[in-house]
Amino acid sequence: MPDDPYLNTLLMSALAVIFIIITSLGLGALARFIAKLSGSSKLRQADAFTGYLFASPWIVGFIIFVLIPLFTSLYWSFTDYRIPNHPDWVGFENYAKLILGDSGFRASLVNTLFLTVIGLPLQVGVALLLAVLLNQKMRGERIFRMSFYLPVVLGFNAAVLLCWRLMLAAGNGIINQVIRALSAKSILFSYLNRAIIYVVEVVNAFFLGITNQNFTLFNKVLEAGFPAANRVPMWVQTPLWSKMSVVILIVWGCGTMMLIFLAGLNNIPKELHEAAEVDGAGGWARFWRISFPLITPYIFYNLIVGMIAALQIFEPIYVLYRDSATLAPSAFSMVYYLWMATFRFNEIGYGSAISWLILIIILIVTLFQFRAQNRWVNYELY
Amino acid sequence: MRRYNVFTIIGRGILYLLLTFASLLMAFPLFWMISTSFKTLEDANAPFIQWLPPQPQLTAYLQVLSDPHFLRAYFNSTFYAALALTGTLISIAAVAYAFSRVQWPGRNIVFFLMLSTMMIPAQALIVPQYVFFNKLGWIGTFNPIIIPGFFAGGAAMIFLLRQSMAQIPKELDESAFMDGANHLQIWWEIVLPLVKAPLATIATFLFVGYWNNLLGPLIYIQDSKLYTLPVYVAQLYNINNTIQPWPTIMASAVLTTVPLMIVFFFAQRYILESILVSGLKG
Repeated sequence: MPDDPYLNTLLMSALAVIFIIITSLGLGALARFIAKLSGSSKLRQADAFTGYLFASPWIVGFIIFVLIPLFTSLYWSFTDYRIPNHPDWVGFENYAKLILGDSGFRASLVNTLFLTVIGLPLQVGVALLLAVLLNQKMRGERIFRMSFYLPVVLGFNAAVLLCWRLMLAAGNGIINQVIRALSAKSILFSYLNRAIIYVVEVVNAFFLGITNQNFTLFNKVLEAGFPAANRVPMWVQTPLWSKMSVVILIVWGCGTMMLIFLAGLNNIPKELHEAAEVDGAGGWARFWRISFPLITPYIFYNLIVGMIAALQIFEPIYVLYRDSATLAPSAFSMVYYLWMATFRFNEIGYGSAISWLILIIILIVTLFQFRAQNRWVNYELY
Repeated sequence: MRRYNVFTIIGRGILYLLLTFASLLMAFPLFWMISTSFKTLEDANAPFIQWLPPQPQLTAYLQVLSDPHFLRAYFNSTFYAALALTGTLISIAAVAYAFSRVQWPGRNIVFFLMLSTMMIPAQALIVPQYVFFNKLGWIGTFNPIIIPGFFAGGAAMIFLLRQSMAQIPKELDESAFMDGANHLQIWWEIVLPLVKAPLATIATFLFVGYWNNLLGPLIYIQDSKLYTLPVYVAQLYNINNTIQPWPTIMASAVLTTVPLMIVFFFAQRYILESILVSGLKG
């Protein structure tokens, strides 16, 4: 192998292409041979060859990068495998340790719960609000739509996320400076700001209490009472606010959800609204009686996708909290914890167990939501 | 149908006001990034609001553009994204062709299998894949973040392209067959030119994904010479600094964002449409 890393990769890529071509031809020939054995016509034999020839990059990739890893990691999750040691069978030890004794894993579960219960409704709500506003059919819709979607394209780049670290700085970050300026100008805003701070800190102290199994902080926050007039949010400064900063980021990135709602609103037959308007229903009533019930399938879809995404949030946590040993656990997702716990000491066995727990949780969530949807999701007219 | 009275006009006004306000909020981080990149170090860390740089200057950009580490990271990101994108796009196009234009035994089963992999998050497979790449001796190289893409990485993308390919009339292939063309020619010369728009959409999604990828390079790339942009720029913020060099960091961020902006600007119409059609996650 050449020492130059770029040449090395180019050479490896060429080898990979040759490997793909050979396996494709091989798989195609095998399919044709089997078709011949089972007595298919010449045409069907040719189709079998072509089909497997073209599909085999995915088939081979699926076997190498999905199927085999899935099952080897299932095996390793029952071992104490740590590179470069040999894996030894330990039974359910990894899983027991994760569920009963690992405070980091418990923190990641609680954080995911927080994002699902507090962040996701906010994100879905904002996405729905923007979609309803955009659906009013007026000039410039495309520009608005573009600016609402832009954060999705940019928002997962660590470089752009660093800007949030600048804006969220508790001391002279722009967000807190604006809050201070507005609080000084308007007594109403000041009270609103302090009320929000109070609620956020109480809720977060409660969730931190679950994580630490110790509610002293929660009691302290309650005792401290209503925040003083000069208080501002401590965004990326304390564990009481670290999760809220992530919530702000996911609300900012609600563009995909908004587009899906927009598609849902577009699918509602115009006649329904027109008939209701003739009957004298106002905009508010028409939204809750017509639009809302008919877009429940889209809400439901966004909830599942959003919940699964909450398990996997990585870039925001890395950029905001990677250098803080106290803040990271108060906000990290399960995938972030997986990365941390596995690659610090190459703990393959333990990491495999975390991977499998993530997979199982996703499976349960998906199944549960699909069962629950029959109760409250309206699929009529679709 | 619509009655234009005072209330509808006021309503429209409020609507525009709300939408403009929301757009400004959404775009604000971008504005702030650009604004900070033109500030002096003192202005960037000033304890009072300065919306625009009071004394705009290009120092940060000059500094970043003459920094060999940044340029190297830029080259690495370009190399990685270009190679991975080419391989992924071609293999996805081939697989989508098999799923839409050819009838082969087992097609439905394989297709169903492919759709069900959409449920498995890629991150749940990083641990065993790491072991595999370790055995191949690929740790510390670009290979683990590039080569898996060559195997038609991305079930959602295959699905999107398959839907478009399936809409092309069958007669086109058949008449080409009559003229003696083979499948490879039909795929490359007839079908692919007809799905240029979906291909562009997929290329955009893939490019954005590769350009923004952070976890992959963090796991596999150890030598700082091989850092890609997200990894390099993220570590410019150092908690041990008493004053963060914000103008420099933000200038790097702006330059990192430029390719994304260009791609998004040209492809935005297709992207938005394809999400509306397929409910795809970008």
